[in-house]
Amino acid sequence: MSLPHRTPILAKSGYLTISSILIAAFASQLSLASDPASCPTINNQKLDHFFTTELWPKIGRAECVKCHKSGGDAEDTRFVLQDLSRLARQEHESALRANRDAFLRMAFEQKDNESLLLLKASGRLDHGGNEVLKRGGAGYQILQAFVHRVQNPNPIPSDASPDASGIASFFDGLEMLDHERLLRRVTLSLAGRLPTDKELASLAKASIPEYTTQAGTRASASRGETAVGNQRKAFVALLDNILTEDAFYDRLREGFNDIFLTLGVDGNPDQTVLSYEHFDKTRGWYQKFDLSHIQDEKERREAGYRLAREYRAALLGEPMRLVEHIVRNDHPFTEIVTADYIMVTPYTARGYGCFDAIKDQFKNHDDPFEYIPVRLKALQGRRESENQDSKTGFYPHAGLLSTLQYLSRYPTTETNRNRLRARMYYEHFLGVDVLELAARVSDAAAVTSKFENPTMQASECVVCHKTLDPVAGLFQNFWRFDRNSALYGKRKEGWFTDMFATGFEGEDLPASERWRALQWLGKQTASDPRFARAMTGHAYYLLTGRRPLLPPKDLDDPLYDARAVAYHAQQKQIDSIAASFKESNYNFKTAIKDWILSDFYRVDGLSSRITSAERVASLEDVGVVRMLSPEQLERKIEAVFGKASGHLQGQTAMLYGGIDSKEVTERAVDPSGAMGAIQRTIANDVACKNVALDFSRDQSARILFPDIETDSIPGESPSADMKIRAAIVHLHKHVLGRDDNEDSVEVNRTFELFAGVISDARNTSGIDERETWSCRQGLLKPVPDPHYTVRAWRAVLTYLLRQQEFLYE
Amino acid sequence: MRRSFLKSCALTGLGLAMPARTLTATEEKQDLQPYEGPHYLVFNASGGWDTTYLMDPKGTEQINRLYKRDDILTHGNHTFAPTAKHKKQGLSNEDFFAEFGQSLLVFNGLDYSVNNHAPCSRYMATGKLDSLAYPTFAALVAACQGGSCPLSFLTFGNYSATGNLVAKARVPYLPSLRRIANADSIEGNVKSPYHDDFALERIEATLQQQHSDRLKQNQLPRRQHAESMLYAAQVNSKALKRVTPHIPKQIPKTRLAQQAEIALASFKAGVCVSANLSIGQFDSHANNDADQMKLIPEFLEGIAYALHRAEDLNIRDKLVVIAQSEMGRTPGYNQGNGKDHWSIGSVMFLGPGIEGNRVIGHTDEKQFALPLDPDKLTTNDKIGIRVRPEHIHSALRKFAGIADHPYSQLFPLGVDQSQQLTNLWGKSRTGI
Repeated sequence: MSLPHRTPILAKSGYLTISSILIAAFASQLSLASDPASCPTINNQKLDHFFTTELWPKIGRAECVKCHKSGGDAEDTRFVLQDLSRLARQEHESALRANRDAFLRMAFEQKDNESLLLLKASGRLDHGGNEVLKRGGAGYQILQAFVHRVQNPNPIPSDASPDASGIASFFDGLEMLDHERLLRRVTLSLAGRLPTDKELASLAKASIPEYTTQAGTRASASRGETAVGNQRKAFVALLDNILTEDAFYDRLREGFNDIFLTLGVDGNPDQTVLSYEHFDKTRGWYQKFDLSHIQDEKERREAGYRLAREYRAALLGEPMRLVEHIVRNDHPFTEIVTADYIMVTPYTARGYGCFDAIKDQFKNHDDPFEYIPVRLKALQGRRESENQDSKTGFYPHAGLLSTLQYLSRYPTTETNRNRLRARMYYEHFLGVDVLELAARVSDAAAVTSKFENPTMQASECVVCHKTLDPVAGLFQNFWRFDRNSALYGKRKEGWFTDMFATGFEGEDLPASERWRALQWLGKQTASDPRFARAMTGHAYYLLTGRRPLLPPKDLDDPLYDARAVAYHAQQKQIDSIAASFKESNYNFKTAIKDWILSDFYRVDGLSSRITSAERVASLEDVGVVRMLSPEQLERKIEAVFGKASGHLQGQTAMLYGGIDSKEVTERAVDPSGAMGAIQRTIANDVACKNVALDFSRDQSARILFPDIETDSIPGESPSADMKIRAAIVHLHKHVLGRDDNEDSVEVNRTFELFAGVISDARNTSGIDERETWSCRQGLLKPVPDPHYTVRAWRAVLTYLLRQQEFLYE
Repeated sequence: MRRSFLKSCALTGLGLAMPARTLTATEEKQDLQPYEGPHYLVFNASGGWDTTYLMDPKGTEQINRLYKRDDILTHGNHTFAPTAKHKKQGLSNEDFFAEFGQSLLVFNGLDYSVNNHAPCSRYMATGKLDSLAYPTFAALVAACQGGSCPLSFLTFGNYSATGNLVAKARVPYLPSLRRIANADSIEGNVKSPYHDDFALERIEATLQQQHSDRLKQNQLPRRQHAESMLYAAQVNSKALKRVTPHIPKQIPKTRLAQQAEIALASFKAGVCVSANLSIGQFDSHANNDADQMKLIPEFLEGIAYALHRAEDLNIRDKLVVIAQSEMGRTPGYNQGNGKDHWSIGSVMFLGPGIEGNRVIGHTDEKQFALPLDPDKLTTNDKIGIRVRPEHIHSALRKFAGIADHPYSQLFPLGVDQSQQLTNLWGKSRTGI
């Protein structure tokens, strides 16, 4: 809302406090309260509460601050708010106070006996943002209530908004994973394996707390919290180790590619990433690579294909290897926007033309995937005019931002003017969806015709472009559209003047920094509080497959408050983790660990049934409960059975909700019928390949059936039944991660399945005494099946593999 | 009323997501009944098509360089740009309108309100601009009419949010359908089942019992949702074996034809309600005319292919086609001979229950939308409204008979009764 410049009625000093405003206001309304002293403190508190829980989240943050902030379209009005998302957590309280005061000042102003604030917001007076709140709508009513409360010393209708204390008890009534089960979740998720016996033993040991008595002897502690504290310490120590495993870095790269999608560069990367203008002499090195030592022509040809394939894969992999390098070496994660280097391999270094200069740094020149950090020299064009500006002689690297892969993945056009890159920058590194700023109904066509330059003049356009265009300008040195020709290159006429000036959030790019504009952007980004929160959000995505909640928007939604509670609880956690992340000098492992230890990751169930619709709504997004991606499911199968299924490759992986990082960029979150069919196939096939095989192993080497043979038949004796139940408990634990008792409902159910199948087989004539041909291949020794127990165990395993505990995280 | 309805939905799990309905005991034991139609094919010209080279021609030098006003063609009540001379492949406007004009409803002058790809795509697909939660029409109708179909909502791209009402299925390649059709047989060979019948029946029965028990337990809403979605996906997937007889031996070459074959085979098998088909690259910021002349004929050819194949499969009379894009192109060229984003565009409909040979809504000579009398469907400066995607979606929901479905009520469009396009579908037609 843009308000005209006028001297405020009350804001003579410009620094009025809420109390002084209220006192003055009340004093000015003699019919209501003539004695300033009668202004009760409780009313101020209630007003504060109303502002904090109602007006600010639903109106101020959701609407007004889009324009009414420094750098916003309405920054030149006298109603300027502070954007909390740009401030550190500790600054929020004072900023909120300042915003409250700004609203208070405006709430007193009237025109024709109507509140100016209401007139403006509803578009009935000249307002740059036109109609923001529909009269009579929920948002308008909130603003109306605020104005009424301010102007009325005895307002105080009851507050229906969520109580702040409700956020603190958000997890009341929810059950958390114990450390042992948490360890299974973490090892499978981040390391693609099950917990080792050693890890489990260290947790078990920590659960028996010991302390030293005054007499110097050690005794068991009786206090449970000591045990929990010790287990937590032990767990964190294990977690530290897990985060050093290679498998964790595979998962890290995979997860971050889901976000940045840099594997989705179009075409052959040696052509698109390494453009003709700057790499024409080196990018095709593999075509001339000497493979003459391979005698066989076919083999030589195949080797050539492999060389090209691996070279291209290595090129595509560089951005995510940068992420890995930063995390693996405990560098500040801000390096993803500030690193003055890229990661190259012996193959890609040849493509860049820098192999000879750095080859001594590689351990193995023939390893296509040995990545090392390198600073490239400034690009040399085929013509001098295409040489890259550089005051140091080096390419001005700015982490991911300046990698040729990132620039290729998000190209620009003559009319797009790098705005796509700027939009992706905001989303990737600051967690801001710029387009959402403009997600309100307007008439873009009329605006286009009305203004000569709508992006700088029409408020509907300015709300985004004032943020977006300065950053777009920071990519101005990459002004080429035919990526096969070049990525780097400047606009001949200089950067556009009919766009908001190049810079970042109100700060112009110094002319001296233009040659390294992205480095300048990287520095701004690293110091922006939104960066830490955005990266904390990425860590959450990595662990849960979901992005953090967006604030609820629909004020008419009867469950708005419940959703707001969920949003605020999560935001509070994000703020806390982001602060800790920053304190750790942006060590990304800190963010991962903090999330894992948080209730958001550990929550696993309800301790009692929920009877309130509000509570259901507030818990909608709680709990990991993530359908495993094709890659994750294959890793889990390998972890549990020792070998992947091989079913979730190529086209089937796509069918199972995978992404190609190009057209399909969002993973499936719910299974379709097609995916249900694949789940059935996998369950059938994995059981087929593993049951008889496991029985053919020496007992000590068995994974699935370490304590039972195929001659244990249900109902034949109590000891046989006990053995079978024990075997089921083991399977539930190993395959599903469940801790079931031998007489539990779930074990009973599985037992009944096993017994029922054997009973049916007995009553069926012509049953073969051997396993199905396909399921007895590759055995270490013959496994006869005269009692049908092998096939019954296979039915059991098939049943288990189709369950949520296996297919979901 | 909506408030109490939404609250009760939340309590029953609807607020989070309503997965495919729980199957009856009878259905558990037998194959699901095929879904008989109607089927919905939504064609998306992703990136923003140039409507002035299709159903809303202008022919002025500023707007169209490839033809002049006098060159504009008509067929019945339709007017369209001539493209036969300019296209290199695909189907010309001339041939498209000649064949389908009589059954085609065109709406011109649709106001998308904004002109960025992401919000526009979302708006056009769902009828709601400012929410990420709303389902696309294709997903909504799939959930309402056939949520238990294994591939009830197929998508090949474009904005495809489901509102958590139904799983979206991606089947990117025709051979994939064969691969998944017989999941209980070794390598899909029905003569080589993994399990004896009695064992498989026991597995299914035990899973059913477990599912039933778990729904009664105290569970996190997400876990309950996952439990239902997972169980439904596995049980319903058995119906996929009905698809294989309808998979063509030859895989067509063009992009939309490949997608159409998968969708139509699934329609024919009764395992799918709706499909979102899409081709991209319409975003012709440079060399608009060349790009649009390549893509519009390809797009029309894809629609024609789907209709012809539907005829072959005897499902044409159950097939509703919607052809749309997330925006139009500016009424003028930029310096790169391209056209930029324009918030006014068009949409086309064809199928049973839709009276064809009609053009509703108009743009003026500068390609601005003219206000439309929502009752009479004529332009009217005084009482006309700007027709936006929510008006179209509101009419579509009524057309499909799902406007009052609880799922639709979860995602209200907020169109006043006075602004409903009640006669959009034609004489005495209110839908199917």
